[in-house]
Amino acid sequence: MVQAVAPAMIDDTSIERSPGYWSTVWRRFRRDPVAMIALGVILLLILIAILAPYITPHDPYRGATLRRLRPPGTPGHWLGTDELGRDMLSRLIYGARLSLFMGVTPVFFALFIGSAIGITAGYVGGWVNTILMRTIDIIFAFPSVLLAIALSGAMGAGIVNGLISLTIVFIPPIARIAESVTTSVRNLDYVEAARASGAGGLSIVRKHVLGNVLGPIFVYGMSLIAVSMILASGLSFLGLGVRPPEPEWGLMLNTLRTALYTQPMLCALPGIMIFITSISFNLLTDGLRSAMDIKA
Amino acid sequence: MLTYIAKRVIYTLPIMLGVTIVCFLLVHLAPGDPLVSVLPPDASEQLRQQMMALYGFDRPYAEQFIKWLGRALGGDLGTSIRTNRPVVAEVSKAVSNTLMLAALATVIGFVLGGLFGFVAGSFRDTWIDKVASAISVAGVSVPHYWLGMVLVIIFSAQLGWLPPTGAGPGGSDNWVWDWAHIRHMILPAVTMSVIPMGIIARTVRALVAEILSQEFIAGLKAKGTSSFGIFKHIVKNAAPTALAVMGIQLGYLLGGSILIETVFSWPGTGLLLSDAIFQRDLPLLQGTILVLACFFVVLNLMVDVVQTAIDPRIARS
Amino acid sequence: MASDTAIAAAAAPSAAQTAGEPSRALLEAVELVKHFPIKSGVFGRANAVVRAVDGVNFSLYPGETLGIVGESGCGKSTTARVLMNLIKADSGNVLLNGRAPGTPELSLKEFRSQVQMVFQDSYASLNPRLTVEDSIAYGPTVHGLGGGEAVRRARRLLDRVGLDPRRFAGRYPHELSGGQRQRVNIARALALEPKVIILDEAVSALDKSVEAQVLNLLLDLKDEIGLTYIFISHDLEVVRFIANRVMVMYLGRVAEIGPTDALYTGGRHPYTTALLGSMLSMNPDERTMEAPLAGDPPNPIDPPSGCRFHTRCAMAESVCSAKTPALTVSGAGHLAACHMVDPTSGHSKAAA
Repeated sequence: MVQAVAPAMIDDTSIERSPGYWSTVWRRFRRDPVAMIALGVILLLILIAILAPYITPHDPYRGATLRRLRPPGTPGHWLGTDELGRDMLSRLIYGARLSLFMGVTPVFFALFIGSAIGITAGYVGGWVNTILMRTIDIIFAFPSVLLAIALSGAMGAGIVNGLISLTIVFIPPIARIAESVTTSVRNLDYVEAARASGAGGLSIVRKHVLGNVLGPIFVYGMSLIAVSMILASGLSFLGLGVRPPEPEWGLMLNTLRTALYTQPMLCALPGIMIFITSISFNLLTDGLRSAMDIKA
Repeated sequence: MLTYIAKRVIYTLPIMLGVTIVCFLLVHLAPGDPLVSVLPPDASEQLRQQMMALYGFDRPYAEQFIKWLGRALGGDLGTSIRTNRPVVAEVSKAVSNTLMLAALATVIGFVLGGLFGFVAGSFRDTWIDKVASAISVAGVSVPHYWLGMVLVIIFSAQLGWLPPTGAGPGGSDNWVWDWAHIRHMILPAVTMSVIPMGIIARTVRALVAEILSQEFIAGLKAKGTSSFGIFKHIVKNAAPTALAVMGIQLGYLLGGSILIETVFSWPGTGLLLSDAIFQRDLPLLQGTILVLACFFVVLNLMVDVVQTAIDPRIARS
Repeated sequence: MASDTAIAAAAAPSAAQTAGEPSRALLEAVELVKHFPIKSGVFGRANAVVRAVDGVNFSLYPGETLGIVGESGCGKSTTARVLMNLIKADSGNVLLNGRAPGTPELSLKEFRSQVQMVFQDSYASLNPRLTVEDSIAYGPTVHGLGGGEAVRRARRLLDRVGLDPRRFAGRYPHELSGGQRQRVNIARALALEPKVIILDEAVSALDKSVEAQVLNLLLDLKDEIGLTYIFISHDLEVVRFIANRVMVMYLGRVAEIGPTDALYTGGRHPYTTALLGSMLSMNPDERTMEAPLAGDPPNPIDPPSGCRFHTRCAMAESVCSAKTPALTVSGAGHLAACHMVDPTSGHSKAAA
């Protein structure tokens, strides 16, 4: 083979570069219509949440007793009014902020903490693993709804307490997945080869383990967002978590229960929003999982 | 095999102990006055002290814990502050009510879930799969308590076919297995079955699709095995994981139905728990959480054992 | 029983002996032992052990290729990993130029830069998220080489192993064929500029034509750079082609070690003759009518007493189950662990 250029002189531009892992994933994801629609819906919801102050027609906190429980389609209140006369559309839009926030934030924090615990346990192994994972198992022994409610009940209602209890609920499943994935990666040949090169633990984790482990953990975390939203709204529904008069979809479901027989459509609306958001996140995660499953 | 079971049981003990400690801590470290439901607001300080001593709330935590644990192991979970009845009695009644719902929900959810999942996995990527998968995703994404409300709207408010709340004409204390009572079970049970149905359907679908793509299936077909024979092989291979998922779902059904029971006013463990939380009924709260958590742990253990019985490879790993 | 140094000296290639003094061993394995406990019972106590490596001695001399052969479960791969210090030996020493790694005289990191390994599974050995050049450059960066210089070295090595850096440096492992991946693994092993490379079934998974190319590459590199190889394989023909000396392992111990031709034509250990005799001939007139080796290899959990091979040996006698034979000199640079070779053993066929 004749080399026109000495290998040491080859600069970066003449190297053919293959697209990296995540660009390949994105390319595959783009070709999945369902996943793209789900992504679009979520981005739209996020946009609505951010722009809430500018797009709501009425003040979501102000109500008038005379205008209570108007059905959807009432002029001036397209989606009707709630039991205190507040405009439903405005409250639904503002509710997006809190509901999305309560859905995403606990998972976000749980991802950090749970991954740290799980990856450490998985990589170090031995008694460290045993102690960490057995402790996690104890928390995991409680069904999540029960735990969330018990924790919230113990700490009292309120957004911050709700966030804390949900974060605690989600740390064990994430830690378990992190540990499981890390253990399987750790036993692969290329990690052994890295050790054979003389690298120390931290370097191996940073360069070899993290890149292969964070993907699956992240996707798993995403699949929990829908659950988190439903749990958070459930907490508000029970009177824990978000308190009135804050607009939050779950809380709205609770307060509108009294109108179940008179204005059923009003009751259904916040639930529809939760449903749409939740199903979009689930479809998004499904699409992401398929896209990431690249068989060589 | 027996050694494996013994090993797993011993394994579970420290977890159970941890669970009881967490239970206790949860309840006692919470802010709020445990006696708020029994004492009038203007009770004298002396009365308060007396009541505290009566219930043992003035002792140090460790002592309270040991005492409580000791009695619990003997079957006595204390007395509910609110109703003055033994906690054990309250909890067992609630548990049996929840079990009824859970049983029905299990049957509906698991059967439908398994069916949808199996069909979707076998006919992967066809329209059958897409429909079944869509139903499963919807099942998993729906806020179940909202679904309960919707069902109530449709079947109670609009159509008037089924009652919206309660456990029958005489309440759960006078339960009889007749239509007048059973019709109260239908809506809550159906509502409860939806999320497990979705999860099981999705899990089974993935399992079945994976198994069918493995080479030994081609080998079976080449041998001329009948469709039923292949079906048996699929079931055998999918069973361990499917059972594990079902077990977990059963655990959730047993304990996590708080929201649905609230919607339907069904007097089960969920409602009991929620009342205990809001009334700050400490003994009841502790006892209920403990029973539920232990249920869950025992259930996991049983699932492990059954899994191993079906697939001996797991014990050796 | 001869001392370890004497054994080592006796195992030296004959050329060195005629020169009057044994050449210095580059790598030595001294009484390596590695047992793996099997956990059973309720409390996970180790009731039994897998005696994967049970007293292995040999020396590796500069510039040679030592082949290691044996059936599955004989401990070849475990020995390789113990040599590499990827698994800690229960007892015994690995010495590089007379110094043990992990001591003040020779740090583990320094040892690693001298002894490298190429694994069997070419795909699993490479991080699927790293490009080829990043995988190769990783080792040098760990040892202090700057990022840019490491990448330049990686590209030089790619060229050396026959892969055009312009086409391959930016690729990912799943885009390469098996043979190309093994070349990458070889380049990676070379990146630290080691003296010894252990090849653990490195060509076993490749197509025959590709295998031939890679083998030729290995030979060229050895001559160019002056490497020393340990070549582990179950493919006896390949070992015959590439190795100067061969070591035969059985159930965690060395059965025989010596020059390739001596073992392949006149092995002294019954296992060697049986194993190497089970190679099929290409000559239709020389058909093998009977399998020379009967039965399955016994379990390394509970090996037979005395000589491990006595249960399958046609010439076994009572002394064979009573006493474990040591490696005894049977020719220039040729050792066998068999009572028939040792005049003092008491075996009826032992040379007087």
